[in-house]
Amino acid sequence: MAYPILTTTTFLPLVGAVAILLFRGERLARWIALGTSLATFAVSAPLYCHFDKTSSALQFVETANWIPTWNIAYEVGVDGISLPFIFLAAMLTVLCVSVSWTAVRTRVPEFYAALLVAETAMIGLFAAANLFLFFIFWELMVVPVFLLIGVWGGPARVHAAVKFLLFTLSGSVLMLVAMIALYSEFGTLNFRELAASTLQPTLQAWLFVAFLAAFAVKVPMFPVHTWLPDAHTEAPTAGSVILAGILLKMGAYGFLRVSLPILPDAVQLFRTPMLALSAVAIVYGAYVTLAQTDIKRLIAFSSVSHMGFVTLGIFTLNRSGVEGAVLQMINHGIISAALFLCVGMIYERTHTREIKDYGGVAKLAPAYSTFLALFCLAAAGFPGLNSFVGEFLIVGGAFKTQVWLGGMAIWGVALGTTYLIWFYYRVVMGEVNPGLEGLKLELNAREIATLAPLAFLAVCLGLYPDCVLSYLRETVGALPGVTP
Amino acid sequence: MNGPNVKDLALLLPELILVCTALALILAARRIQKTPWAAALTVLAAVAAALASAWLLSGGSKTGFGGMITVDAYSQFFKVLIASALALVTLLSVTADRPSRPDPRTHRPKDPQTHRPKPRPAEYHALLLLASTGMMFAASAVDLLILYLGLELATLCSYILVGITVEKPTSNEAAIKYFLLGSFASALLLYGIALAYGATGATDYAAIASAFSSRGPGSHRILLAAIGLLAAGLAFKIAAFPFHAWAPDAYQGASTPVAAFLATASKAAGLAALGRVCLVAFAAEARVLSSVLAGLAGLSIIVGSIMALSQTDMKRLLAYSSIAHAGYALLGFVSGTPEGAEATMTYVFLYVFMTLGAFGVVIALGQRGESLNGYQGLAAQRPGTAALMLLFLLSLTGIPPTAGFTAKFVVILSIVRAGHLALAVLAVVCSVVWAFVYLRVAVLMYMKEPQEPAPSYFSVAVYTALAVAALVTIIGGIFPGSLATWVVSP
Repeated sequence: MAYPILTTTTFLPLVGAVAILLFRGERLARWIALGTSLATFAVSAPLYCHFDKTSSALQFVETANWIPTWNIAYEVGVDGISLPFIFLAAMLTVLCVSVSWTAVRTRVPEFYAALLVAETAMIGLFAAANLFLFFIFWELMVVPVFLLIGVWGGPARVHAAVKFLLFTLSGSVLMLVAMIALYSEFGTLNFRELAASTLQPTLQAWLFVAFLAAFAVKVPMFPVHTWLPDAHTEAPTAGSVILAGILLKMGAYGFLRVSLPILPDAVQLFRTPMLALSAVAIVYGAYVTLAQTDIKRLIAFSSVSHMGFVTLGIFTLNRSGVEGAVLQMINHGIISAALFLCVGMIYERTHTREIKDYGGVAKLAPAYSTFLALFCLAAAGFPGLNSFVGEFLIVGGAFKTQVWLGGMAIWGVALGTTYLIWFYYRVVMGEVNPGLEGLKLELNAREIATLAPLAFLAVCLGLYPDCVLSYLRETVGALPGVTP
Repeated sequence: MNGPNVKDLALLLPELILVCTALALILAARRIQKTPWAAALTVLAAVAAALASAWLLSGGSKTGFGGMITVDAYSQFFKVLIASALALVTLLSVTADRPSRPDPRTHRPKDPQTHRPKPRPAEYHALLLLASTGMMFAASAVDLLILYLGLELATLCSYILVGITVEKPTSNEAAIKYFLLGSFASALLLYGIALAYGATGATDYAAIASAFSSRGPGSHRILLAAIGLLAAGLAFKIAAFPFHAWAPDAYQGASTPVAAFLATASKAAGLAALGRVCLVAFAAEARVLSSVLAGLAGLSIIVGSIMALSQTDMKRLLAYSSIAHAGYALLGFVSGTPEGAEATMTYVFLYVFMTLGAFGVVIALGQRGESLNGYQGLAAQRPGTAALMLLFLLSLTGIPPTAGFTAKFVVILSIVRAGHLALAVLAVVCSVVWAFVYLRVAVLMYMKEPQEPAPSYFSVAVYTALAVAALVTIIGGIFPGSLATWVVSP
């Protein structure tokens, strides 16, 4: 290792953001953002190549003195669970820069600066090896996303942005108290050291609830999901991609990084309610999705259902379920990002999100329709595409735990297929909607280049899921409380 | 007990520097008609006082004037802080004193009868210097009488500073309100001192503490009354609930730099005094004090947050913000431990800079900065100024990686350690309310269209003050441990 890979990957986007704000040219901002995000992707490459898949230990660890008086150091490192997310964050940022190339026309430098700050927060969160850093990046993420939604979003953007912010902060302040309670108990916030120490079951239960408040809002789990449709719908395309692709994963990642290792007794205690909430999210989310008439809202609500699968998988607490959950997070990151990109691309041309304004797109834009078909099938869990593997593992894990949970999950899969196929049918098939006549809907080369990597990943992970599973197998196996 | 000694005067070097500068300014008042000279002199004096405070500490802690004044790490920390606040407020005053041009829309000619001469800059700066001197005495006092004298000097100068814009009726009204409530609070404080003297026979902290320890834990009713009255008097100085009512009116009526001075230096001095009184003089009554302070802190946080929700005037909003932040700062004293006091010191230090930054942006925007609607579309017109305001607001909310997060972290850590989990949860839940309040300004700046012409560019002095405040806000957030060696409880 010639350079500190993780630190460089984390803070390079921040440097790019500062450069953009200093130079302030619109064209220049785009090129700096593209250059920075590609460079970030490039410097993170050694992580995937040189990662030791046979070890569950933290790798590429970098430590530096930071706050000696508090016994808190700057510690970063990756294991099998966090590594795929760093890849996902670095890749999706490049695609976000690309998709915003012509879509964002106002305050261009600030837009790209916010996007790059968000990238720093995302990568930093997954690289953090102690709770203090984790919390800092967790909160740092809120600010650029708030601005992305509120400044460059749709008509109701201010409402959506403020709602997003208040929901997120309400959760995270309780996480702050929980973090401080852990710190005052043990005097350290390092994840490994915290996992090695034991806590009273009552205290664990309280801490679990406090962390749950933060994580459940981000996932989002069933009763606190109401910010998500507004935020996803009003955000600009790049904002929706960041939200669906990465931000939602932060909550589930928090369960895996904090709740499972540090609060094992509380996890056992709260397991059944968590499973029940997940099952409700899957089925309820799917029914609400069926009723949507706005394309972006439809995809947003489908995320509630899909993230229900993820939390279901985590709290089955068996290997198949947890591995499936992590894989499904990656899958959902790829597919929901792709679907939002598709919606954003067509919205840029038609300026409507109502499903009834579409129809017959296949005749006008065959390449676009092909991509959309692929991503819809992938989201529905079509065999041979990526979600199938993740959902299969999760449903398998659910059946092992409780038969009725498996039943609920299957029900959710069936509903998922229904809403996605029906959505595709209404938008793409049939007669050409008169409102679309004369519009140039077909994708250009830049947009095809944006969607192609995601399509490739969807197929690749579907046919050879081991390229992700091999990374996380050891780490998941080492999680406390996870049965084989 | 030794009598005062000429050598003891050296202990008061920072105060002497400020007083001499103030006297020089008053004597030369007729010659100094232009602000820059007075301002430059004041900033120099403040910097010299800060350096002198730091230098005095190099010889270790000392007590002088027959055990009435002490020079220790605690007092010098606050003196440096007060001097820095004085310097920044002086820099921020440079534009505020500039004669305002006639309104281009109305073109109202200046009426020679109603137009009075503006207060001479020399007097304004002399009052700032004297007020800071009083605050420094309060930080150094180890005797209740010196504490009272120091605070009175500071408060008397503050009354005049609030009313110094004589041509503004709101300013006069604010000064009178502040004066009436302030004298009441001073009376309470003095009454508390008298009762403490009556019960223990002493006014210096060490003697009071030993009187307590010789008597044992069972407390005396008169002493309880004394503690209550002292706490009330000091709560007024830091504008904590229920002695906060003067703050919004005074801040709104006063010129913005004066409001900034009241919100920062004045609050720091009050907290410095309160900390020493709680931890040294009345340490034996920690249990009673803890519940009194917990009540003051919790209620200040709640009331400040709720009242701030409906404000439309930026200075009133910042006034309620300062009330709530006084509550957050008090949280450190609730535990009654040295770590808690150090948490409060960290909080106050960082709070002073971020609040001065927020007031600085208000000043930089001139008339437009005073009402919340004036912030509409600022980001499109002045991206740099808007970004600075966003930074200060995020810091006041306590979002990492800004100084406000460090501050919030240390005080909440101290009360969690003291076992007040409910208070900790209350404090963080109210910070969500604050997020809503502060980010309403962010929404106006970034997500609305401009309604007014872009504000004119501000002076280099204001620019410097904003840069310093921003620097401390960022460094305090990225290196939370950077203050650790300086904060030492009494």
